Amino acid sequence: MKFIISSSLLLKNLQAVIGVINSNNTLPILDDFLFDLKEDILTVTTSDLETTMNVTVKPDKSEADGSIAIPAKILVETLKTLPDIPVSFSIDLGTLLVEISAGEGKYKLSGHRSDEYPRTPPLEAPTSITIPSGVLSKAITKTIFATGNDELRLVLSGIFCQLSPDDIIFVATDAHKLVRYTRKDAKAETSASFILPKKPLTLLKNILSALDTDVIVEYNRTNAFFSFSNISLICRLIDGKYPNYEAVIPKDNPNHMVIDRVALLNSIKRVSIYANQSTHQVRFKITGKELLLSAEDIDFSNEGRERLTCSYDGEDLEIGFNSKFLLEMLGNIDTAEVRMEMSGPNRAGLLLPANVENKDEDILMLVMPVMLNK
Amino acid sequence: MLLSRNIVHFDLDTFFVSVERLINPALAGKPVLIGGTSDRGVVASCSYEARKFGVHSAMPMKMARTLCRDAVIVRGDMELYSKYSHDVTDIIAEKAPMYEKASIDEHYIDVTGMDRFFGTLRWTHELRQSIMKNTGLPISFGLSVNKTVSKIATGEAKPNGELQVQRDAVKPFLAPLSIRKIPMIGDKTYRLLRSMGIVTIDTLSKIPVEMMERVMGKNGIMIWEKANGQDSTPVVPYSESKSISTETTFEQDSIDVVKMKEKLVKMVEKIAFELRDQQKLTSCVTVKIRYSNFDTHTLQKSVPYTAFDHILIPLVKELFDRLYQRRMLIRLIGVRFSGLVAGNPQLNMFEDSSEMISLYQALDKVRNKYGQKIVRRGVAYEKSEKRNSEKRLAKPK
Repeated sequence: MKFIISSSLLLKNLQAVIGVINSNNTLPILDDFLFDLKEDILTVTTSDLETTMNVTVKPDKSEADGSIAIPAKILVETLKTLPDIPVSFSIDLGTLLVEISAGEGKYKLSGHRSDEYPRTPPLEAPTSITIPSGVLSKAITKTIFATGNDELRLVLSGIFCQLSPDDIIFVATDAHKLVRYTRKDAKAETSASFILPKKPLTLLKNILSALDTDVIVEYNRTNAFFSFSNISLICRLIDGKYPNYEAVIPKDNPNHMVIDRVALLNSIKRVSIYANQSTHQVRFKITGKELLLSAEDIDFSNEGRERLTCSYDGEDLEIGFNSKFLLEMLGNIDTAEVRMEMSGPNRAGLLLPANVENKDEDILMLVMPVMLNK
Repeated sequence: MLLSRNIVHFDLDTFFVSVERLINPALAGKPVLIGGTSDRGVVASCSYEARKFGVHSAMPMKMARTLCRDAVIVRGDMELYSKYSHDVTDIIAEKAPMYEKASIDEHYIDVTGMDRFFGTLRWTHELRQSIMKNTGLPISFGLSVNKTVSKIATGEAKPNGELQVQRDAVKPFLAPLSIRKIPMIGDKTYRLLRSMGIVTIDTLSKIPVEMMERVMGKNGIMIWEKANGQDSTPVVPYSESKSISTETTFEQDSIDVVKMKEKLVKMVEKIAFELRDQQKLTSCVTVKIRYSNFDTHTLQKSVPYTAFDHILIPLVKELFDRLYQRRMLIRLIGVRFSGLVAGNPQLNMFEDSSEMISLYQALDKVRNKYGQKIVRRGVAYEKSEKRNSEKRLAKPK
């Protein structure tokens, strides 16, 4: 097994898939790239058993097909230090010795048997849809921050995807905040829903943000498969029932506030500096056309207050929130103004863009308050 | 470092008894014992009338009863006492430049520099009058150069008195007193020093400090300094409690798991309410059990910040189940919430309905008005307490 390839081309493709490799693996072979050379095409695979990624690249020259697992860290570190020069790989599949020659350098390392590398079976009876990369990447970006980290509630650690002939809905929640992102310009022929885990989505988000292409998404009951340009990713779906999120989105909210997004964001940022640094709680007091933001840290006698003008339609209201949630949510809305809809101090508040910028896109954020007792 | 300080030590006289007497004036002038009513209980506080019979706090109730047969025994209501304690603290906080709440019935105030404007003694006297007038509780104070001397002075001023010990009078004041009066000296140290032939503070202060160190280590130096009227510890304005806990010793050692769990529910309800009332959240829950042979075991678990009964009760029960492994009688159970931070509980969109939160708020409001025992879960109810709460309902504060 032999091939010659440009160092930067190989590095770029390896870096696209290296994110799958965990830092400490129980199976040592999962620290490796699987190199597979077949008919002048090199396929590199990484896997953590849950997620598997493939990238294909055409070497400048190749001979003798074969496959081998090569330690990822050593290889990537070598390539990173090289200038853009052709690198030749010469691999003895019998002794598993990998010889790399680049310029005047010669490096040897030992690989592992490719048949020890875990394989993912192909998707059985998949359904397929196509989503533009920009849409998918935006959907992930807008929702992923709201996913949970609780190992005991695994379903909340992923993004819930609801496909239908009308639209595709992406939902993420950690039970304290929720985002529902709807795209009307992406559709599926039949309705289906599944929960995608966070890790492969983070990987996809990073790669897709730089691309402009169509992503083919195939799925069945257990797995989802994404392919675009020369990359493919297959991941196991999170098994379980996603909670009925629609039921927690309040329908009638008599109190509406429209406010400048950046002004609110910056005020919360400043006021929350004076909040308790473990709980980050801020208090909203809305009366007339005025929003009074306040936070205090009793332990240090810190206190912050700011007054903001807003347009408000509703009863006077006092409600407390975790400022971290609000900051993340406000940072993920693009419009100049936002609308907050609330019904009471113990009920969920909605955060929405004040105006529609893209008619194919709909975003709804929900945040649970904290219980104020005084 | 300031050369001359003025520190006041305020101590409420037989605090628990005074509160009970406010509630029930018939107790005035009678020997009163406060503490666990069972044979295993101890005296938490007793009136001066009872002290004449040789009763003192921390004495087993059984012994106290033998000493003083006519004593009225009151179960005691910590919640009520802390309410009155708060009232006193509020008055002090309003007037004093810097104070430290040292315990439920003790406060230190740093009045250094007040001389220039008001006269420390007059100012403190007026503060004391104001506390007595507003709360109806007798209180005494000692005013001197540091915390130790002030505290000793309070002890001498009691009951219902005040005493100033000027800088140059500190030594003569301390000299004739028994070494018992030094706050650090407990029963053991007292016996040790007595065995060395030391009776008065005067003798103690004349012992070479090196010798004290040899006998008692670092503590020896501190005791010697105190005997010499030296104490540089500052008045610390505010000390935040980092944990909140409660425990119960059973009247009889028990293996009744059902009853113990009921007790746990009651304890969680009590301290979870305190958390919410103080606007705190816990991040670590500990359950403690002590077997009849005094083997003590604890188990803890961290939780996302919370102050809700419905999260804490199942958790405490689970910890108890994991902890109670030996088929042995249990003497004591306890619950502790630690890792406290200031804040209000975050609501969960799937688990906390707004109706339930409103219920929490309504119940807490009722508890704040009529006392926390007025409303609780059915399992946490015990017959003996029903009468108590009815009584309290009749006399809301």
